[in-house]
Amino acid sequence: MNYAIETRELCYTYEDGTRALDAISIRAARGAVTGILGANGAGKSTLFLNLNGVLTPSGGQVLLDGKEVSYARRDLPELRRKVGIVFQDPDDQLFSADVYRDISFGAVNLGLPPEEVRRRVELAMERTGVTALRDKPTHALSYGQKKRVAIAGVLVMEPSVMILDEPTAGLDPQGVSELMRLLTALRDQLKMTILLATHDMDIVPLYCDYAYVLSGGRVAGEGTAEELVCQPGLLRENHLRLPRMAHLMEVLAREDGIDLPRSAATIGAVRRAILELLNKEEMR
Amino acid sequence: MGTDRYAYASRLRRVDAIPKLWLSLIPLLLCVCCDSAAVGVATLLLMGGLNVWLGGQGLRTVLRFLKVPLAFLAVGCLTILVRPLSPEEGALWAVELLGRFRWGITAEYRDLSLMVLCKAMGAVSAMYFLSLNTPVTDVTLALERLRVPKLLVELMELIYRFIFVLTDTAGRIRVAQESRLGYQGWRRSLESMGTLVSMLFLRAWRQGERSFTALESRGYKGRLDTLPADAVPGKWLYAVLAGVSAAQLGALALERSLLG
Repeated sequence: MNYAIETRELCYTYEDGTRALDAISIRAARGAVTGILGANGAGKSTLFLNLNGVLTPSGGQVLLDGKEVSYARRDLPELRRKVGIVFQDPDDQLFSADVYRDISFGAVNLGLPPEEVRRRVELAMERTGVTALRDKPTHALSYGQKKRVAIAGVLVMEPSVMILDEPTAGLDPQGVSELMRLLTALRDQLKMTILLATHDMDIVPLYCDYAYVLSGGRVAGEGTAEELVCQPGLLRENHLRLPRMAHLMEVLAREDGIDLPRSAATIGAVRRAILELLNKEEMR
Repeated sequence: MGTDRYAYASRLRRVDAIPKLWLSLIPLLLCVCCDSAAVGVATLLLMGGLNVWLGGQGLRTVLRFLKVPLAFLAVGCLTILVRPLSPEEGALWAVELLGRFRWGITAEYRDLSLMVLCKAMGAVSAMYFLSLNTPVTDVTLALERLRVPKLLVELMELIYRFIFVLTDTAGRIRVAQESRLGYQGWRRSLESMGTLVSMLFLRAWRQGERSFTALESRGYKGRLDTLPADAVPGKWLYAVLAGVSAAQLGALALERSLLG
């Protein structure tokens, strides 16, 4: 299968000698959401900066659409166009007090003609639902609104891979749902490949098609959400936890001897499992 | 920054910033150069009127902003108005201080202070036309189009944006300190304030690094080029400018002819 982005034995060492990435091999399928799970300091952000060419790997390969990425100076703009990063704190990313101009920045840097820039800015604002904010200064926006503007600022570059660093951090519960809906819409409508760093375990079974567990700069585990929640030990060793629903399944099995599928980690899956169990009881 | 909020709500918000800049600057210059109370009053009324009539600002808003510099001006004009006099100088009003110093008001300096007051209020009113109808980002963009060096313009834009980020940070640090009694007593307040300033400096430094990384990842190549939203052409404002300037000069002529 052809992956949108792939790393092979990727290594990165900081100038002070800290080995932040140690032979990382991950693959993100095209048009899917791939979760990168890990505690703080696991190397998620360093990995992302390597993928977008802000940092240059000290070893290993990165493949984009199956072709090896060149980190030569003249190839960097193309890499940054194809792989966009949305940073965790939107205040780090939004540099202009004017929403419209901030969103246009990436597209202008691609050297596109003004009409094309305008078309893309309008489209990105529409997709992220910030069209109504165009007349507001950046500092008047709420945190969630800033986050959407930051996403729009990356969308205008029309990347094939979009990386989001802790996109749900600092959002209220409804803000999280709205943001995740936006991301799934981008995946489904634009076939965009999304890499998502998070330690919010409850969103993983809902939105991630596949996930990697990162720890100390290494890949500690991988699998679909269903596969990962069946390995609570792996998650806990790496400062993560089971999604609440999967935890409930674990407790029911351990404390009460009720055997339900351990891979059920969403409300929908648990509901199905319980109904099935009740049906079986009735039959008996 | 108080004015910026109104600028975003102005009816002229979408109008090209350059005509607005000229419509503000030329009456300002005329008002300052004419040295005449009548021109000052005319500028004050005209530009204040344009703020209400063209900008759609409330009369109260405009008056409130005009009141802001009044206290400074009053003190300034008072020092021109009341001054030491020589014993033989004719005065409208005078007083002997401690039996030796004669202070008072003369007709000449009454006129002078009145003129300064009117001139300053006129100038302020003209300036408000710009700041109540043009967001800061549009002003900097207009400056760039008027060939102000790109470096300066970019600095102004970044500073303006990060003022808000930094005041936010400073506010949060201050609350955190206050919640642990950091500002009880003069000595402790000084200490806390010192920590706040040094923390703010460190945070600003880190913020700078992170922002640079974020810019790089969006293809930053040493220039913060952006595309502004479409502006409505504002050539018609030049006609208004001609009218305002004519009225100012008319006021000057009228004053000259009346006072001989």
